[in-house]
Amino acid sequence: MLDLKDVSLSLDGNAGVVEILHGITLSVPERETVGLVGPSGSGKSSLLMVMGGLERATGGEVMALGHDLTAMDEDALARFRREHMGVVFQSFHLIPTMTALENVATPLELAGVADAFDRAAEELEAVGLGHRTGHYPAQMSGGEQQRVALARAAAPRPDILLADEPTGNLDAATGEQIMDLLFGLRDRHGSTLILVTHSRELAERCDRTIRLVDGRLSEETRRAEAAE
Amino acid sequence: MSTLTNARRIAVRELRGGLAGFRIFLACLALGVAAIAAVGSVRVSITEGLEREGRNILGGDAEVEIAYRFASEEERALLDRLTTDVSEIVDFRSMVATGTGLEAERALTQVKAVDDAYPLVGEVELDPAIPLEEALAGDRIVVHPVLADRLGVEVGDTLYMGDKPFELSARLVREPDLGAAGFGLGPRTLVRTEALEGTGLLSAGSLFETEYRLALPPETDNARLDAVRAEVEAALEGTGMRWRDRRNAAPQVERFVDRIGAFLVLVGLAGLAVGGVGVSAAVRAYLEAKTPVIATLKTLGAESRTIFAAYMMQIAALAALGIFMGLILGTAIPLAAGPLIEARLPVPVALGVHVQPLAEAALYGALTALIFTLWPLARTEGVRAASLFRDAAGPSRGLPRPPYLAALAALVAVLVTLSAVLSGIPILALAAAGGIAVALAVLVLAAFGLRRLAARLSRSPAVRGRPALRAALGAVGGPGGEATAVVLSLGLGLTVLAAVGQIDANMRAAIDRDLPEVAPSYFFVDIQPNQLEGFLDTVENDPAVTRVDTAPMLGGVVQSLGGRPASEIDHWVTRGDRRVSFADTLPEGTRITSGEWWPEGYTGEPQISFAQEEADELGVELGDEVVINVLGRDITATVTSLREVDFSSGGIGFVMVFNEAALAGAPHTWLSTVYAEDEAEARILRQVAADAPNITAIRVRDAVALVTEALGALAAATSWGAGATLLTGFVVLIGAAAAGERARVFEAAVLKTLGATRRTILASFALRSALLGGAAGIVAIIGGALAGWGIMRLVMEAPYSFEPVSAFAIVVGGAIATLLAGLAFAWRPLGVRPARVLRGRD
Repeated sequence: MLDLKDVSLSLDGNAGVVEILHGITLSVPERETVGLVGPSGSGKSSLLMVMGGLERATGGEVMALGHDLTAMDEDALARFRREHMGVVFQSFHLIPTMTALENVATPLELAGVADAFDRAAEELEAVGLGHRTGHYPAQMSGGEQQRVALARAAAPRPDILLADEPTGNLDAATGEQIMDLLFGLRDRHGSTLILVTHSRELAERCDRTIRLVDGRLSEETRRAEAAE
Repeated sequence: MSTLTNARRIAVRELRGGLAGFRIFLACLALGVAAIAAVGSVRVSITEGLEREGRNILGGDAEVEIAYRFASEEERALLDRLTTDVSEIVDFRSMVATGTGLEAERALTQVKAVDDAYPLVGEVELDPAIPLEEALAGDRIVVHPVLADRLGVEVGDTLYMGDKPFELSARLVREPDLGAAGFGLGPRTLVRTEALEGTGLLSAGSLFETEYRLALPPETDNARLDAVRAEVEAALEGTGMRWRDRRNAAPQVERFVDRIGAFLVLVGLAGLAVGGVGVSAAVRAYLEAKTPVIATLKTLGAESRTIFAAYMMQIAALAALGIFMGLILGTAIPLAAGPLIEARLPVPVALGVHVQPLAEAALYGALTALIFTLWPLARTEGVRAASLFRDAAGPSRGLPRPPYLAALAALVAVLVTLSAVLSGIPILALAAAGGIAVALAVLVLAAFGLRRLAARLSRSPAVRGRPALRAALGAVGGPGGEATAVVLSLGLGLTVLAAVGQIDANMRAAIDRDLPEVAPSYFFVDIQPNQLEGFLDTVENDPAVTRVDTAPMLGGVVQSLGGRPASEIDHWVTRGDRRVSFADTLPEGTRITSGEWWPEGYTGEPQISFAQEEADELGVELGDEVVINVLGRDITATVTSLREVDFSSGGIGFVMVFNEAALAGAPHTWLSTVYAEDEAEARILRQVAADAPNITAIRVRDAVALVTEALGALAAATSWGAGATLLTGFVVLIGAAAAGERARVFEAAVLKTLGATRRTILASFALRSALLGGAAGIVAIIGGALAGWGIMRLVMEAPYSFEPVSAFAIVVGGAIATLLAGLAFAWRPLGVRPARVLRGRD
């Protein structure tokens, strides 16, 4: 499903070139849930972005569903995402000029889905926001906005769901609800889920937890092992 | 006191952040102030040039102008006694020809017949550079190069005026007293007055003006000048003489410059209003970004008024900088464009730094800045300290408190009053202010309507499945966004341009459409009574001539109307000399609106028939006595009828027509209008001129061309003014586009994450720009059409028809302008990697 071979990432910053990821090799099979953990600045969000083609790896190979993401241009990556991927961010990233329904319908429309709005409405219903379809992001709470973002990511029934600290901006109770929804959606669509989180408990809900330190894989734990 | 001290400290610390967010604020204010300062500076430069060079422009210290006759011996003796030198100039229209036969080329010319003393001041420049004395010796003449080229003659060739041949001795390069000349229909010919003997021109009843240029001793001050004027006016009272002196040497130019200058300042104010939109948007954006700072200050104990004062001080400091930049630019532009301006004016221009127009522009700029920043500033009161702990919501959206609204209303009133007083054309200034206010209100409504419509459309099933279009509509109609600022700024700029376009096109259309159908081909003037029969014989027997009208004509000077002296009535009919006519029977096509025409063969007390419209304007009623001086004799006549006279038809129309017996004995000439097929025009002219060379032919088409040309210059000047407004609009547009760039970068990143290609994103950005520009253009067309209709119907009293070409160009122009501005700020969003943007916000 997702195969990373010797992936590295370096970025040009104000202080010169910064090495973010070093030789990451990783394979995620279909329907697996993976938690990426590690201290701040360890490169876990960057790794997620590279997996989603939102950031271009500077070395190595990123294969998703048999396609080499490193060989694709921006538009090819966009087309690939709309067919196979859903992304959830810590800050929700809804388009402020669109209503909840329009935000959710957008990826479906981009993919040319005929009943985009009906499906968007279903997804919003599924996250408990059937009554707020006409509201703009600014008119909703953080938890509601993140639920819209979840619905948007799940609407195209993606093969791969990427979530970057989706509860980072939320209180514990709301965060709990969001995670339930996220895993529920993942179960409903049978997607592969990669989740970046600081929370140990959240990571433990995943089939596998991968720890990153200084841009390198340092430790890998399977749920069965953790339970032991 | 401590409030202000604290505010000042906060302001200074805040300004350390630099001017990055204020580039558009500064540009808008500077451009608006610069346009007004530049127009004002040029206006003052010309006025001062006229004052300083008055003696040169006039060709003497003073001038006495008399119509249709030379000064009598007593009058001349008086002028000689009061002055050190006198020069007599005769000014009239005539024809100049290359021969006397049917084959000769002929052209209309404005003849200036001079004496030995001419010019009293300055030098005449000739090509070849020979002295004027030599150039005019004997039967020699000098003509303007345009005339020489039109007739195809060279120096040394023979030219005819009347029956008499003259040798062309030189081409006229420069007349020193050109600025004093009025509106001439033909290029200039210079000749000695005594050489006109034998030409048949200037005979009894001919229409000409004599100008006596007076030189006074160098020590003559204005008081002495006034004394001379008083003495001359007393001696020539009632003769219709006109006095001009070095203080108002070129009243026509001065009046024109004053009017166009004032008008352009009003256009400049529209530009400042457009800039105000940008200023307001910049201040609003700045204050919204400052919400956390304001909330923090409040948390720390700052009162609302301290915060208001602190931000007011910052804005005031920046406004001062913007105004200063505008003044520098407004001073530099006229200086840089100096040679261009000077080349287009017949008078000297003293281009330089003038304090008064700069002060005016600064005042306008300061008031505009205040008006447009007070509202967003007042809203800082609405920021609560608590907003720090929630999502910073920015300043409140409601109305400011009543004191602020009252202050705003007072400032607007001051600005409008100031523009009415300073422009010198209060009615137009008030109308312009009203127009700008209405246009702004309409544009605000239009922006609101557009946003509502876009929001509704974005949810309509029709756009589902078209994400680019839906995103564009959502961006226009959704919260935030640049719709209002773009529609307001571009819309107002385009409205001014559209109004100019509509008015210009309609005026041209009025001339093109109305005149050729009804207007005659030629006005023939100076037909002597004994030539009338032969003239009519020639034209009436020409198969191409469809109609000939004739009327006798005399020059008269109105002395009094209904017992009121003419000098106390300010109206074109009572100003200077007035041509009058006489008739026994009611001329064909004339309609009496009240009273009765005199019986045929009437020989009783003089009666007069007055034009209805002018009678209404002058307050003349049936039974009123009108006194007119005709060739030195006062004739008192009673108004017995009022007539409808349509001066726009181009036919013969006299304000005053006497009964025949009252004037038939006075020397007069005949005026004739000849209506003919276009292709016969040249032949008729040749025939008439060959028979009677003294008759002057004025081709209506040429006169119309002159008016059209003048109109074109006016439209060009106004278009430049409107262009400045549009430029400011474009700056606001760029400002709005730049301000929206961050939002677009974010949107592009999210859309890419969701699977949108760059093409889709670009299409969406382009669509929203085109939508906004198109909407601004459509509002501008409606506004421009309304303004055009108002000016044409209410001011010009002419028909108005919508002119689609310039209107279409404006919608397309508006859409393209916003598209370009939008696309210029779309490249960065398109090129950005989503991760960089979206992670940056986490």
